[in-house]
Amino acid sequence: MKEIKVAVAGNPNSGKSTLINAIAGTNLQVGNWPGVTVEKKTATIKFDDLTINLVDLPGTYSLSPYTQEEIIARDFLVKEKPDLIIDVVDSTNLERNLYLTIQLLELDIPVVIALNIYDEAKKKGYEIDIEKLEQLLGVKAIPTVATKKEGIKELLQVLKDFASGINPIVPKKFNYGDVEESLKIVETALKINDPGLLNRYPSRWLVLKLLENDELVLKETGLKGDEKFLKQAVSHFLKSHDEDMESIIADIRYGIAHGVTRDVLKKREKKHIDFTEKIDRIVLNRYLGIPIFLIAMWFVFKLAFDFSAPFSDWLDSVISGPVTKWTTVLLNAAKSPEWFVSLVTEGIIAGVGAVLVFIPVIAVMMFIITLLEGSGYMARVAFIMDRLMHSIGLHGKSFIPLILGFGCNVPSIYATRVLETERDRKLTAMLVPLMSCGARLPVYAIFIGAFFAKNAPTVLWSLYVLGIFMAILLGLVLKKTLFKGFAPVFIMELPPYRVPLFRDLMIHTWQKLRHFVIKAGTYIFAVSVIMWFMLNTPYGVEKENSALGRVGKTISPVFEPLGFGTWEASSSLVAGLIAKEVVVSTMAQIYGTDNGQKDNSEGKEGTKGFLEDLKNVAISFFNAVVDAFQNLLAGFGIKSLQVEEEEEMTTLKSKLQEIFTPLNAYAFLVFVLLYWPCVVVGIAMRQEFGSWKLYGQTILIHSIIAWLVAFLIYQGGRFLGF
Amino acid sequence: MNLSELKKGQKAKITSINSKGPIKRRLMDMGVLPGETVEVEKIAPLGDPIDIVVKGYHLSLRKSEAEQINVEVIE
Repeated sequence: MKEIKVAVAGNPNSGKSTLINAIAGTNLQVGNWPGVTVEKKTATIKFDDLTINLVDLPGTYSLSPYTQEEIIARDFLVKEKPDLIIDVVDSTNLERNLYLTIQLLELDIPVVIALNIYDEAKKKGYEIDIEKLEQLLGVKAIPTVATKKEGIKELLQVLKDFASGINPIVPKKFNYGDVEESLKIVETALKINDPGLLNRYPSRWLVLKLLENDELVLKETGLKGDEKFLKQAVSHFLKSHDEDMESIIADIRYGIAHGVTRDVLKKREKKHIDFTEKIDRIVLNRYLGIPIFLIAMWFVFKLAFDFSAPFSDWLDSVISGPVTKWTTVLLNAAKSPEWFVSLVTEGIIAGVGAVLVFIPVIAVMMFIITLLEGSGYMARVAFIMDRLMHSIGLHGKSFIPLILGFGCNVPSIYATRVLETERDRKLTAMLVPLMSCGARLPVYAIFIGAFFAKNAPTVLWSLYVLGIFMAILLGLVLKKTLFKGFAPVFIMELPPYRVPLFRDLMIHTWQKLRHFVIKAGTYIFAVSVIMWFMLNTPYGVEKENSALGRVGKTISPVFEPLGFGTWEASSSLVAGLIAKEVVVSTMAQIYGTDNGQKDNSEGKEGTKGFLEDLKNVAISFFNAVVDAFQNLLAGFGIKSLQVEEEEEMTTLKSKLQEIFTPLNAYAFLVFVLLYWPCVVVGIAMRQEFGSWKLYGQTILIHSIIAWLVAFLIYQGGRFLGF
Repeated sequence: MNLSELKKGQKAKITSINSKGPIKRRLMDMGVLPGETVEVEKIAPLGDPIDIVVKGYHLSLRKSEAEQINVEVIE
């Protein structure tokens, strides 16, 4: 029984994930690399009597230490010393991919090249001399077509032969020409000064990195970079060249990659415009580019929300309906005390429900994002939108999480992963909550219905526009303050369009969903239960004297200058931290406008039997499926953004009309739009960025903004005599 | 002449790169090296960034970065 540790490296867009999925299938475990938001995939697979421990490294173009991905890949290779590297190479783009291969070979770890996307290369008229490639690089090379699972067995066979010693792989040591002399000087000096270092790291790699003056390697080895031997090693270079060492070495590596490519690759000249070119001529066209982009975004949005909404609604109705009802029946039959029934149904079951309703929207959204990325269109979105996004300190790709934020901020936070740098991810995540999400609509609906029925569309749009405006403003400010200094660059490959495998999309979506339910689910559940205790302790007292009511009363003076300094409004806002739509239901509870109706409906439903309920659940699921597809196909409007009037709220409306004036109602709406992003957003932020810090900062900034803007509106309005 | 001044469809040879540090390294890693031939393929609908072909693939970069890359027109 043998076991080997294998790292999978390769350029982005080389089909690496598809290859990994093809090799590992359902054995794939997905997590994060420690401390960062870069995905780490691992799998243990068996091939005959061989156990292979696969670790998928982030896709990188190089092993220079400038992106997080590169640092992770490099650290793993240098420190964990895998037995072998599978280097996934895009056969249609050999030279640039081999640039990474050359760097992998410096590590003195055996390399097996998967010449992936081999079918496309053949179609393009490329002929690769595999034997020569193996010989020139000191590797094994296997042509693969990951999307069709071709070459996977052969690849695993190579690993097996390698593990059993039949097929040794000896990485080629290249002659780096002019630099060799300098390398020797450094190596000799190290042998004398610190021989331990040469054992700890792959020696040739270490020497190269020291010559390059690689900051991270210097830091780790305790060298300063201005040692005499280092200066001596590069002195004659800097005299004769006007480039720095890094550039000289990069040039040499590319020279080798170029030479090898020239020797092994024959291109039968086929003058034709390829598929990607044809699409891009239209999609990136000067005049058509933006309209097409807007249509694509409209479709993405519709798919993400209108398609998922019926399923969320269905889950919601099943949980608050039959599940709650029958649990109550059971608990009552067991003679449970009233407070316990309330805890179970309104705390625990409602908590589970709060997690479940997110599942459809997150699933659909993750599917779409994977589709956008896998197809190559995401890079085009970035290309088209970068000009606008860059002006507020963001990257072109930030557009996707932001636009999805209008549906629900939570998956948007997860979607920030499409961005390349931590800075861009964090900055985008901070702006996402300013996109007015669907959960805020019920609040707008009730207040607009009560106070602005005549100008409903205008008032509603003013809130959306205000959110966008504040996002631009905050982006500009954050760019110059919290996120100052590190200006992100935009040097991005526009990969060829490819049709992603449905299987890959599903695997990825499933992984994300599982991650959400397990990691975020527990928190959301806990918060729901805590909220129940806030509302209901001490049990049975008036809402005013509950924990929530008392918190509301304590903080209400803060809202006095905004025009809604009552304990009722404050308590509702506190409850709204769990999800902004809760503001409405809490108000209904506090103002006691929902009791009558509830008793009524319970009385009616009580007569139905269990089987009948079950049947209704099935029927309503079927209806949800129908609705989802109907929403997708019918109509141009976005249904989830339309205000739905709920009849039972008329009593709450008239109550609100007694308490609020149009002016402080509008101030209240603005406050709801901008204040404290909901706890689920916070949980998503914690999950993505590894700590509560970003959520803390976001809470602080957004709450201050909300207060100031509502203050200006209320006081300004009063000054103007509204 | 620098890369940002090239017109759509113009081919040029890179003569030198003025960028420093990480940006220069990134450009070199992506195959933007002195001596390399580049062609401006497209310009984004809003005028920035640009799409160039280098080493047989498409790379997009902002004009501010392209300004740091000196070129010589060949066609």
